[in-house]
Amino acid sequence: MQKGVLIDITRCIGCRGCQVACKEWNERSARKTSFKGDFTNPAKLSSDCYTHIRFVETEKKGQPVWTFVKDQCLHCKNAACLSACPVAALTKSAQGAVMYSFDKCIGCRYCMVACPFDIPKYEWESTHPWMQKCSFCVERIEDNMEPACIKICPTETMYFDDYDKVVAEAEKRVAKQPDKYVSHIYGQNEAGGTNWIYISDIPFNKLGFNTAVPDYALPDFTWNVLSSIPGKVIGIAAFLSVVAYLRTRGVREEDNS
Amino acid sequence: MTNHWIDIKNSDVILIMGSNAAENHPVAFRYIIRAKEKGALLISVDPRYTRTSSKADIYAHLRSGSDIPFIGGMINYILEKELFHEEYVRLYTNASFILNDQFRMPGELDGVFSGYDPEKRAYNKKSWAFEKDVDGVVLKDKTMKNQRCVLQLLKKHYSRYDLALVSKITGTPENLLEKIYAAYASTGKRDRVATIMYAMGWTQHTVGTQNIRAMAIVQLLLGNIGRAGGGVNALRGESNVQGSTDHCLLFHILPGYLKTPKASQATLKAYNEKYTPKSLEPESANWWQHYPKYSTSLLKAHYGEHATADNDFAYNWLPKLDDGQNESWMMIFHKMLQGEFEGFFAWGQNPACSGANSNKTRDALAKLKWLVNVNLFDNETGSFWKGPGMKPEEIETEVFFLPCAASFEKEGSITNSGRWGQWRYKAVDPLGQSKPDAQIISDLFHEVKKLYENESGVYPDPVIRLAWDYGKKDDQGRITHVDPHLIAKEINGYFLQDTTVKGRTFKKGTLVPSFAYLTDDGSTSSGNWLYCNSYTEKGNMMARRSKKDESGIGLFPEWAWCWPVNRRIIYNRASVDEYGQPWDPERAVIKWNGSRWVGDVPDGGWPPLKNPDGSDNPKTRKAFIMKPGGVAHIFGPGRADGPFPEHYEPLESPLKENPLSRSHRVNPASRLFYEEFHSPYDIYASADPNYPFIATTYRVSEHWQTGVMTRHTPWLMEMMPQIFVEMSRELADQKHIKNGTKVKISSARGSLWAIAVVTSRFKPFQIMGKKVHQVGLPWCFGWQYPEDGSGGDSANILTPSIGDANTMIPESKAFMVNVEKIKSF
Repeated sequence: MQKGVLIDITRCIGCRGCQVACKEWNERSARKTSFKGDFTNPAKLSSDCYTHIRFVETEKKGQPVWTFVKDQCLHCKNAACLSACPVAALTKSAQGAVMYSFDKCIGCRYCMVACPFDIPKYEWESTHPWMQKCSFCVERIEDNMEPACIKICPTETMYFDDYDKVVAEAEKRVAKQPDKYVSHIYGQNEAGGTNWIYISDIPFNKLGFNTAVPDYALPDFTWNVLSSIPGKVIGIAAFLSVVAYLRTRGVREEDNS
Repeated sequence: MTNHWIDIKNSDVILIMGSNAAENHPVAFRYIIRAKEKGALLISVDPRYTRTSSKADIYAHLRSGSDIPFIGGMINYILEKELFHEEYVRLYTNASFILNDQFRMPGELDGVFSGYDPEKRAYNKKSWAFEKDVDGVVLKDKTMKNQRCVLQLLKKHYSRYDLALVSKITGTPENLLEKIYAAYASTGKRDRVATIMYAMGWTQHTVGTQNIRAMAIVQLLLGNIGRAGGGVNALRGESNVQGSTDHCLLFHILPGYLKTPKASQATLKAYNEKYTPKSLEPESANWWQHYPKYSTSLLKAHYGEHATADNDFAYNWLPKLDDGQNESWMMIFHKMLQGEFEGFFAWGQNPACSGANSNKTRDALAKLKWLVNVNLFDNETGSFWKGPGMKPEEIETEVFFLPCAASFEKEGSITNSGRWGQWRYKAVDPLGQSKPDAQIISDLFHEVKKLYENESGVYPDPVIRLAWDYGKKDDQGRITHVDPHLIAKEINGYFLQDTTVKGRTFKKGTLVPSFAYLTDDGSTSSGNWLYCNSYTEKGNMMARRSKKDESGIGLFPEWAWCWPVNRRIIYNRASVDEYGQPWDPERAVIKWNGSRWVGDVPDGGWPPLKNPDGSDNPKTRKAFIMKPGGVAHIFGPGRADGPFPEHYEPLESPLKENPLSRSHRVNPASRLFYEEFHSPYDIYASADPNYPFIATTYRVSEHWQTGVMTRHTPWLMEMMPQIFVEMSRELADQKHIKNGTKVKISSARGSLWAIAVVTSRFKPFQIMGKKVHQVGLPWCFGWQYPEDGSGGDSANILTPSIGDANTMIPESKAFMVNVEKIKSF
C-alpha cells in the first residue's frame, strides 16, 4: 500500500524537532553554521540535512506573518530523478518512497538536475561521494512506525497514512475551512502527483514553493523525447553500466570480505 | 499550573502573555492546536511577534514592563461593562468583603496605598484590614454595592486604567486592546471559559507578582478558576522546576511550602503558632490549620528517632533566618561580592550566565576561596577565572568539578508544570566517573559527617543526627548506591508506630496513604506533606501509566500522580454552582450526585453550599480551602506592594515619570540596590539618551536555559549557532544596521556583540506620544563554549540588579540599552 504524508503548514510552530529527529535517525552529522539574520539554518538542504524548516516572513495588512515550511523529498509518484537515473539506482518502493541504492549509483548526478524540487544532494565533501536525500524512513514504515520527523512533531503538523486517505484528509480540511486554507493542495497534481502533499493558509508561491512545476509526470515528458533516440540511450546505458561496475567494485569486495 | 497541559484543549479563549509557549513549551502547543480545532481563539500579547504569535488569531504588541496597565485595562473593561460572572464572584471570592475606612488607594495617594513608609520602602498593612463584627467575622455585602466592599474598590482603582491611557502606556492600539478585552471577557459566562499561559515574561519584573495577581483577578471575575479549560497557568521553564520549588529550592520555604523558621521563633510551638492561621469565618475549611502536623512530620523525616517530643522534635536543628533577612539569588551574589562567602556549590546551574547582571556575578565568584561546579559539562561558571576581562593570576578561587549524571542516566521523579510527579527510569549508565546527584550528595554527606564526628566542630547535631536511610550501607556505614525509591517513600512518609487516625489503624512502618492521616505527635513522618499519597502501600503512584480517562476532559487520573492527592485541577469546587452542579455540564470537573462528588478529586469531600431545597447546608466548606476565609483573594493584603496591582515603571524605562503617579516611578516596595549599596555594579540608566531603546531577553526552542546542555549538542548548534538581537526595520534604518551584521548592544552595566535580525516582527511603539524602539536577545549563549567564542555571550551581561518586591526575582525582562553598528568587536 502506497503511503502518503499531509503537511498542514498552519499547524507548524517552527520548533524544528523534525530537523533534529531526521538527523538522529539517519545519523547525519551537524555542520558548522553561522547566523545570518534568518532562523532558517542550515539555509539549504544538503547531504547531511534531508529536511529543514524554512522561516518565511511576510506581511498582511501591515502585520507580520511568520510561516514555517518543512522541505524534504516529496516522493513523486512518477519521479523524474528515477527516470533520469541511467543505472536504476533510484526506485519507487511499494510504500511510495523514492529509494536510492548507493551500490548502483555511478555519481552522474542526473537525478539532481532532473528533480523539479531541488532535493537530491551530493556528498561533495566526501572522497567517496553518494547522493543523499530523505528516504521516507522506509525502514521505519516496514516496521509499522511513522517516519522520524512525524513521530517527533508536537503539533501533529504531519498526517501519515495510506496515500488515498491522506489526499482525502487534505481535501476534507480545505473544504471544511475554505476561509482558512488556500484552495490548492500542493503535490496533488504537481509533477503528476507526489506522496507528500501540503495545505496552507498562505499562497504557495509566497512560501517559496516551485509553482511552475507542470501537472504532468516529468518522466512521461522525458520518455517522449528519449524514446526518439533509443539507440543512443542504450549505448549510454551500457557505457554507464560498465562505469558503475568498475566504480562500485571496491564496495562489493568490502561486502564480500 | 492550577490546571495541566492536556486541559488547555478545553479552553474557548487562550491568552498567551508573558510567555512564548511555541518556542519554550512546544509540546504544550499540541493541546492549543486541538483547542483551536474545536474553535478556540488564541491571543498572543508580546513585545515581539514570536513563533507563538504566528499561530494566534489575534496578536497585539505591548512594550515590556507594561503588563499591569494592559490587564488593569481589562479589569476596568469587565467591571464597566458588567461582564463578570456575578454568581461566581459572590460565592467564591472576597469581592463582598468590606474594607475598614482607613484604607486608601493610589488614586488618592499619588501612587501608593495607605500605610506606606518611604524610609523603609515598605508598607504598614494595618489599614488594609477588613471590617469585622463583634465576633471577629468579616462584614460582607452580598449585593456587592457597598462603596467600601472589595468589588467597588476594585472598580474605583481600575477606573484610572481607561483605554486611552492604557494605550499610551503600553503602546498597544486602542482598537486592539478593545478587541482582546471583548474576546477574553466573553468567558464570564457559565458555558465559556478562558485560560492564561504565562512564564518568565511576567515574573521577571519589579512588579512580577502583581502581574500574575492582576490576571488572577481577571480569572476570578470571569469565574474561570477551578474549571476545565481555565485557571492561571504558569509554564515552568525547566522540566522539574515545579518539583524543585515543591521541595524547597528557595531560601524562604521548607518542603511543601512550609516557612523557613525565624530565629525569633524559639520553639516549635511558637513557629507553628505563627504560621497556623485561625479562621472565624463559618464554613471555612482553613486547611493550613493542619500546619503543625506537616511541620512535625517533616522534622521526623529529617531527624527520625532523634526527633522526640522532649527535644521539640529537633526544631532547633533547623537553620533559622533573622527577622527580615533575605537570602534570595541576588543577595547571595551581592554578599559573595562583598567577600561574605568562602565557598559555593553551583549545582546543576550556570549563574555566570543565568543570573541578572552577569558581570557582577562573575566578579563575585572571584571572591570565593573555593567553588564546586556540579554539572554535565564545564561552563562559564566553572571556568569564570579565565573568562573575558578576568586576570587569572589575581584570582585565588579553587575550582572543583564534579561530573553528574544526566536525567537519562538515573532513576527518579520529576514534577512538571501541571504538578504531575512522573517516575523516570534509567536508560543508560552514567558516563565515566559521573554519578547521579543524589549519590554525590550522599557521598558528601558521609564525608562531612565523618569530619564532624572526628573533629567535632560548631553545632554538629543537625548533621550527625540526620536520618539518612537511602540504601544498603557498606561496613563503613556509607551508602554505596542511593535508592531513589527510598527517597520517594520518605517524601511520602511513614507511620512510625502502630497508629489510629480518623478511625483507621495503620501498622508501624507502612506508608501514609494521604496527608489527612499525618499527625503532630511524632507518630508519622513525611518529607513533604504535599507529596503524601505519591508512594503508598499500593505502590509508586508516580510510575502509573494508565491511559484510562472517564472524565471526557482529559484528566487521565491514573497517569503518573498529581499533587495534592492526585487532584488534577485545583480549586475545582469553584467549578460548580452552590448546588454542586457544574457551571458547564459539557466540561464538568466534579459534580455532586446527591451523596458524594464524582469526577476529579475534589478540594475536600464536604457537600455543596446548598441543599437541593435551597436551604444552606451547615456541613459545607467553602471552595478555596487554603485561604482562611475560604474564598479567593481579589483583594490580596498579603502582598508587600499592595492589595491590588498598580502600575510602576521598570527600574530602567523610557519614561521619566510613571504616567499614573508623579512621586513613584518604580515599585515603592522594591529594594533599590544602587541607592542602598552605592556599588557601581548596580548602576542603572533610566530615561537616559545614552540608552534609548527598551530591551528584553528570552529563550529559543533550540537551546535550554544557559545552553550548557544544548550548546554541546551539535545538531542544535547547527540550527541556532550564535547570539542575535532582533529589531524593527525602522530602528535598523535609523542606525544603518543591515540584517545579519554584527552590532554592539550596551546597557549601563556592560556590552556584548550580537547578529542583527532586522524584522517586521518588531515594531516601534508610541509611548506617551513618543516613538520608542524595543530590541530583544536570547540569554542561552556563553563565551566558554563553543570554544572559539563564535556563540557570543549571555544577554544577562546587560540586565539590572533589582527584583520583584515580593520575590526578589530579577527584572530581566525590561531594561534599557543602546544598539550600535560595528565592523569588528
